[in-house]
Amino acid sequence: MALPPVLVILLFVGVPVLLAVGFSFGMTGGLNRTAAMIGQDVFTADGLITGEAYAMLFADPRFPRDLAATVLVTVVTTLLVLGMAIGIAVLLRLRAGWASTMLSGLGVIPLFIPVVIASWAILNFYSGDGFVRSLFAQFGAEAPIFGFTVTGVIIASVWVNLPFALLMAASGMQGVPDALIDAARDAGAGTATIVARVLVPMAAIPLIIAGTFTAIGVLGQFTVPYFTGPNAPQQLGVDISKYFQSFNQPQQAAAVAVIVFVVASGVAAMYVWANFRSAKQEGRV
Amino acid sequence: MTIPSTAASAATPVSTDPGGSTVPGLRLSGISKVLGGRTIVDDLNLDIAPGEMVSLLGPSGCGKTTTLRLIAGFLLPDQGRVEVDGAEITSLGPERRPSAMVFQNYALWPHMTITKNVAFPLKVARVPRAQIKERVAEVLELVGLSHHADSRPAHISGGEQQRAALARALVQRPKLLLLDEPLSNLDAKLRVRVREEIRDIQQRMGITTVLVTHDQEEALSISDRVAVMSEGKIEQVSTPAELYRAPATEFVAGFIGSSNKVRALDLGEGEPGVEWVVRPEDVRVDPEGMPGVVTRVLPHGHYSEVAIEVRGTDLRAFVTGEAPAPGDEVGVRITRALRYRNGTLDEAPVTVSA
Repeated sequence: MALPPVLVILLFVGVPVLLAVGFSFGMTGGLNRTAAMIGQDVFTADGLITGEAYAMLFADPRFPRDLAATVLVTVVTTLLVLGMAIGIAVLLRLRAGWASTMLSGLGVIPLFIPVVIASWAILNFYSGDGFVRSLFAQFGAEAPIFGFTVTGVIIASVWVNLPFALLMAASGMQGVPDALIDAARDAGAGTATIVARVLVPMAAIPLIIAGTFTAIGVLGQFTVPYFTGPNAPQQLGVDISKYFQSFNQPQQAAAVAVIVFVVASGVAAMYVWANFRSAKQEGRV
Repeated sequence: MTIPSTAASAATPVSTDPGGSTVPGLRLSGISKVLGGRTIVDDLNLDIAPGEMVSLLGPSGCGKTTTLRLIAGFLLPDQGRVEVDGAEITSLGPERRPSAMVFQNYALWPHMTITKNVAFPLKVARVPRAQIKERVAEVLELVGLSHHADSRPAHISGGEQQRAALARALVQRPKLLLLDEPLSNLDAKLRVRVREEIRDIQQRMGITTVLVTHDQEEALSISDRVAVMSEGKIEQVSTPAELYRAPATEFVAGFIGSSNKVRALDLGEGEPGVEWVVRPEDVRVDPEGMPGVVTRVLPHGHYSEVAIEVRGTDLRAFVTGEAPAPGDEVGVRITRALRYRNGTLDEAPVTVSA
């Protein structure tokens, strides 16, 4: 019977989500009443809904910067993660040897290290008084500071998200039969063409899954930017916590969450579209 | 007994260029390959004339596919040379060889349409777009797949996929066409039709072709010559008719067609080191012959395969018309045989007079 789990999900996930979305649009009655009473700057809709909480967010010049920085970190991290995962997976598929085995082994190590520890370690590694700067100083050189910067957030995000993407990419490419690669070589294709025209398109679904999960994960992440990121611009995941706890603005926090959800929905829509397209190509639908 | 002996294998036909020297379409000279400590191809020599179709035939593990991969460039030989139309290509990778291969499982890229699959080699070679369109349309017409130009491989039948793979090879206008068991995934009826189509196209285009197969019927029916391989070596290269009529070794005699092995034509002890191979069609049921008893009858439609025990030896005979029943006492006469001394053909064929 599927009904009990569906009911549990509806009750403990669906209802709170709907309440939060409604709250962000000024529905302050019912189960939202307590939060509306405690919170500051809560707007109540005269009619059905109001966008005043959103207007307030965007009126503060910091918020659009935070949003832009979050999207930037998400896009750059996703591209870097996919690039590295594809690179190592291609190496494993086409030039299996000690180097590719070592890289793929190193690539999944972050899976076994808790994000909070990794974030702290990365901050210390790249901070103003961190390992890299100290090492460079030994030779009279000055290394850049990545601690508390957007670059630092991207580096840490790549570290955290690489293992899953690498596992997906490697399994996708290992699944491409040798004959399809041989056929491309026989047709005159070099390595770059084989990667671009055969391996990547044939591993499209696992790569899209890896890309989607990475993008959505980075979009809403908290720990990594909380430890390694700057005070401004901040990632939206940290913003939600800040609006909710520090500013006591639960309605604005809910509005930020809705914005994150909308952006994530765009990524999810791409995933569904890509899956459908691939199914159509293979004659499954 | 009359003994008209013939040569065991046909001479290799090669073309003569205007300069007077002979230039084979493909020449393999002393090719050897060791894989995993095992010699897979052992000092193999083969000349194929331009436009000729030669099959590499042999049991599983005889090295025929490895030989084809050495010709295609997927493997490089440990020793020996590969030449195509007189040009040495031994150390070139497959992308730089003037050959095109049709793979056993067709190896069509599932994410591309048939047109894109076929156009791929030309795109890689940076052929102008208009020319690609023209050549792809031409080759799809040739293999009869124009109506599936925009279909994906998953949406067409096995036979059509096979023809699409052939089109992808032909569109490159290769000097050498390599076919790696291209028909093994097709059903029996389709196999016969497609192999005739392949032969027809190959002859029309005059492409030097190497076909790898373990199916002797396939090899014998569409090849100009057949190279029978065993343990990395070529046992015999001959025309299909010659191969059947006068197999050079006992291995070839046993591998090609059905055969009876006997020590002597009178089924007695015979001579040491000598063995006789008798084709079932050369075992006649004749009341005047040696007395025997039918042990089994296997009907094959227009003929029957009859097992007869004669003087303690089991003989197989092909009988057309009405076959005797198991348990019948019949007379048996051997009309033709091949004589082998120490595994190689000594005299062939030996016609036995009544």
